[in-house]
Amino acid sequence: MTLFHFGNCFALAYFPYFITYKCSGLSEYNAFWRCVQAGATYLFVQLCKMLFLATFFPTWEGGAGVYDFVGEFMKSTVDLADLLGLHLVMSRNAGKGEYKIMVAAMGWATAELVMSRFLPLWVGARGIEFDWKYIQMSFDSNISLVHYIAMAAVVWMFTRYDLPKSFRLPVTVLLALCVYKAFLIELFVHIFMLGSWTVLLVKAVLTGAISLCSLFLFVTLVHSN
Amino acid sequence: MAEVLSRRCVIMRLADFSYDKYQKALRQSAGAVVIILPKNMSAMPQDIVQQFMELEPEMLATETIVPVYFAEEDNELLSIYTQTLTSSSSQGSLSAAEVLLHTATANGFQMVTSGAQSKAISDWAITSLEVRHTETGRDRKACSDVCKPWLSYGADSNGSGVSMLLELARLFSKLYTYKRTHAAYNLLFFVSGGGKFNYQGTKRWLEDNLDHTDSSLLQDNVAFVLCLDTLGNGDSLYLHVSKPPKEGTPQYSLLKELETVVASQHPEVKFSMVHKKINLAEDMLAWEHERFGIRRLPAFTLSHLPSHRSAQRSSIMDVRSVSPSSRHGSFRSQTLVPFFLSFPSSLCPSLHVDVFVSFLHSILPYYPCFVPIPPFNSSFLSFLFHSCLLAFQPFLPCPVLVPFSVFFCPLFTLLKNISAFSRDPEFVFYDQLKQTMNAYRVKPAIFDLLLAFCIAAYLGMMYLAIQNFGLLYSVVRRITLPKAKVH
Repeated sequence: MTLFHFGNCFALAYFPYFITYKCSGLSEYNAFWRCVQAGATYLFVQLCKMLFLATFFPTWEGGAGVYDFVGEFMKSTVDLADLLGLHLVMSRNAGKGEYKIMVAAMGWATAELVMSRFLPLWVGARGIEFDWKYIQMSFDSNISLVHYIAMAAVVWMFTRYDLPKSFRLPVTVLLALCVYKAFLIELFVHIFMLGSWTVLLVKAVLTGAISLCSLFLFVTLVHSN
Repeated sequence: MAEVLSRRCVIMRLADFSYDKYQKALRQSAGAVVIILPKNMSAMPQDIVQQFMELEPEMLATETIVPVYFAEEDNELLSIYTQTLTSSSSQGSLSAAEVLLHTATANGFQMVTSGAQSKAISDWAITSLEVRHTETGRDRKACSDVCKPWLSYGADSNGSGVSMLLELARLFSKLYTYKRTHAAYNLLFFVSGGGKFNYQGTKRWLEDNLDHTDSSLLQDNVAFVLCLDTLGNGDSLYLHVSKPPKEGTPQYSLLKELETVVASQHPEVKFSMVHKKINLAEDMLAWEHERFGIRRLPAFTLSHLPSHRSAQRSSIMDVRSVSPSSRHGSFRSQTLVPFFLSFPSSLCPSLHVDVFVSFLHSILPYYPCFVPIPPFNSSFLSFLFHSCLLAFQPFLPCPVLVPFSVFFCPLFTLLKNISAFSRDPEFVFYDQLKQTMNAYRVKPAIFDLLLAFCIAAYLGMMYLAIQNFGLLYSVVRRITLPKAKVH
């Protein structure tokens, strides 16, 4: 609604990233350029996904109110490319597990933030009309940060050669949840007609659950040796 | 209402309108005044409508620099109105903290209009339409005019006149196609523009036909001119004349005919003649027939209003009610048609009047007058409705004209567009009649500060959480690996 409002949203969106970068010890490892490389990989992966979607998925011809479950499900499956991208980033970085995860997640999430949220905030939050959606967008970016850290951890665990057999199933389930999280949220919104703040809450709860599970598994894996 | 109104927009609903509030808003130089008109005017209580109609001339006469907008009510406008009302009226009864919170979080609206300053239009044109029913093969010069509602805003004044005229034209066209039912008179139907502005269209048309051309259209033997004005509602009918008709003239016969038909077939209608001399000293002419009277053509006006000063003639409240009366139309055609055909019976014995009258009575039920004939009449009337209050829409939009001419194709022998000169302007028209006003929902400035404070608190919490992430890590570690503790 004004520049001040834009400043508010900007601070809300970017500060957690900044704090995470500083406090996770990444700055000691000169990880800045590695994060940028991870961001570049993100861009490349998104481009490939877009091309794939445009080529192979026809436009939905149905009515306006009907939700195309199968189509959206297939589209979400394409998000598996995200996992591949994260794996690629992590395999190119040498170092401890935590370091790899953090670098990949930070770079990925920051690239997503800059690409998908900066322009709407710049254009919309500075306009005359006030809307709560800009604050919600900024909150959403915080949630995505946690989500990407969890996702990177799960991908790292999946590719470990010394993963115990009992962990295979939970890790796969978590992986699937990470990929289809967006699809599930949309499903909930469509079925229950949730308001925008409720959606945010549901997203936060889901991401919290996923990240807590992945944290448990990670700790068990790392410290069971 | 706050005391200082500058840079604020005052929104009023018609139901809550009062002249004092309006004056107050103007005196305190409000940024703008928006008056919300209800969508369904007939649902409003009549005393409010009457009161507003009486105030309209005073409002029009007041000169002010404050722009006054009229908007039609719809759901969003109504919600804006109610929100503004609640936020401005609840300030007296709450505690200070609540008031502060309320002020900080209230929804304000910023109104932005996109128009420019009004400028005078230097050149404008009036549209008038003319249709003639002439006799073919006869040499009669006698001509009578049935005329002239004017094209502008107003369902009753004068949408009713226009629709009645068009219905008569249609009926007469049917009759005039056959020689047997042909009357001894030529008929000229004229729909004039600029009626509310001192009958400019009529004035121009008369100048064209009497001064500027050699045609003998109007110069000889006009039997009379009948003007139709405001015939929609009401139980009474008045024939306004500038001088009472003498015995033996066609006007006198029409007057008598009207009286007899009313007395015999429509006793509930009160019919009388109103005599008003033309007063040339006044700014505006009272009725349209006075224009003709000035040019020495015998004319009178048929209306349900007793006086030319009636507020109903120029009000924005004049919109179509749901059930128009069909009585007057059938009454009109019942008198006029036999009148025109009764003349031939005295002059041409071969025509059988009784047959015609009964023929008329048999076809009249199939042609109910003044009941809108879709799609033509309703589109024409809806065009009339959508004109603005002070506006005069000089141009008929082409899509309206097309169905008009298609419908009247067999009737029209002539269709003219008459434009008015600006060499002797009595009126100055201004543009910028229709503007778009955008309402943006805004929050007050203090809300931004509040939000910044909340965000700063949230970020502080996040910082602490991230700093102490190690704590969470060790807790999880302790939970998942109890064996390590045991050892």
